[in-house]
Amino acid sequence: MIRPAMLAVALAAGPPCLAQAAEAFVTDQDGDSVTVIDLATRKTVATIPVDGKPAGIAMTRDGARAFVTSPSAQIVSVIDTAARRVTGHFAAPGGPLGIAVHPSGNPLYVADWYSNQVEVIDSVTGRMIAHVTVGQSPSGLAVTADGKFLVVADRLSNAVSLVDTSTLKELARVPVGAHPFGLALNPAGDRAYTADVESNTVSVVDLGARRPAGTVKVGKRPYVVALDGGRGFVTNELASTVTVFDLATLAKVATVPVGDYPEGMEASPDGNFIYVANWDTNTLSVIDARTLAVIATLDAGSSPRAFGTFLR
Amino acid sequence: MTINRRALMAALACLASAPAFAHGPTRQKLELSVEVNATPDKIWAVIGNFHDLSWVPAVAKVEGPGGNDPDTAKRTVTLKSGGAWHDEELSDYDAQKFTYGTFLPHVDVKILPVADFSSHISVSAEPGGKSLVQWRSAFYRGYPNNNPPPDLNEEAAKKAVTAICQPALDALKARFEAGH
Repeated sequence: MIRPAMLAVALAAGPPCLAQAAEAFVTDQDGDSVTVIDLATRKTVATIPVDGKPAGIAMTRDGARAFVTSPSAQIVSVIDTAARRVTGHFAAPGGPLGIAVHPSGNPLYVADWYSNQVEVIDSVTGRMIAHVTVGQSPSGLAVTADGKFLVVADRLSNAVSLVDTSTLKELARVPVGAHPFGLALNPAGDRAYTADVESNTVSVVDLGARRPAGTVKVGKRPYVVALDGGRGFVTNELASTVTVFDLATLAKVATVPVGDYPEGMEASPDGNFIYVANWDTNTLSVIDARTLAVIATLDAGSSPRAFGTFLR
Repeated sequence: MTINRRALMAALACLASAPAFAHGPTRQKLELSVEVNATPDKIWAVIGNFHDLSWVPAVAKVEGPGGNDPDTAKRTVTLKSGGAWHDEELSDYDAQKFTYGTFLPHVDVKILPVADFSSHISVSAEPGGKSLVQWRSAFYRGYPNNNPPPDLNEEAAKKAVTAICQPALDALKARFEAGH
């Protein structure tokens, strides 16, 4: 059943043809592969070899292409999702981990977490278009739904950078908790949420006012944030849980036990399920967004990370 | 091998500004286990105390506050080889499930060539009154940036952790099965 609030999010988040997430593309860092899981049957349907210990992933809005970062090999691999194969590699310097794709499908934004740069790369040709200077060790990043702003978690600067995607200049830097890693934006694009690894918090940033807008105490070593309707979800690596909180009040709603070392996480576009990649347990947990119970645990390759947008 | 000059400069800049907080690109996973001819409660009585590593041959002593309370427990572990690490945390503890987890935010790579070291020790029942003791660890290599030297790469990290954990599991088995 789709509740009105969820429907609003689904419509805002993507085109109507994506009424339900059909597949997960899970990066398996130790398996040197991407595991494709059919989310209706909950079975693995393909394993795509991807070199260089793949970690980050960005899915185009239409779900046709996925871009995967391999920090060990300093490449971005392009995946044709329907054909289930790698169609090309782009060079990406330093330690490419966080990645996002513009809502139009071009360009790519690739964070070099050894530096203070986000690389802007043409998603068709692989040409390096520009470098955006942000804070130190950029990690998670996301682009607002209107495509106007890139938002970056600067891990070593304990800040979020707001970047204008037309001028590629940093407009503002807003302080958050200690070592922000994963980052999520609300559908309206006026709130950013960071998972602050070292302070065990989620920080809320008001992107319009460009200032901090709240803090949520969560579990140990929070890593990735996902939003679904009126709720926020964060994976807690050392607690093997997902903390659920209310986006309006920032009050804690529930703590959901999942696998060990939960990392990448994303809500299905219809808002019904939250998918969590458990790095240590090699599984994908399926959380019912209404009951907040884990309703299925699926095999997910070797050391799954799925850091980014991995559903289509 | 070619070295990307810009990346190298960036890495050096990062190293200079915050060496303690960076780590390598790929977290390593090490899973060691041993089957022991004893029930879980008997094994847990030996290994289930965060401040007692007398069952680990490489360890000389353990000190620290907090008992087995994850909110307050910390330990300093001194090795027989002379080095020590400090402020290792108890990330979770469940005596009913015979499991506890640890997290070590910072360690001198000369003592243990790893970064962000965490581990889980657990005991589970096996048929016939036996147990499976598992020691699962997660960590990054000791060298934070690209192109690690051989003594600080992933293999060196795994080797160093194995050198502490495997003899402990072997000794645990011998302790319960001596004379059998």
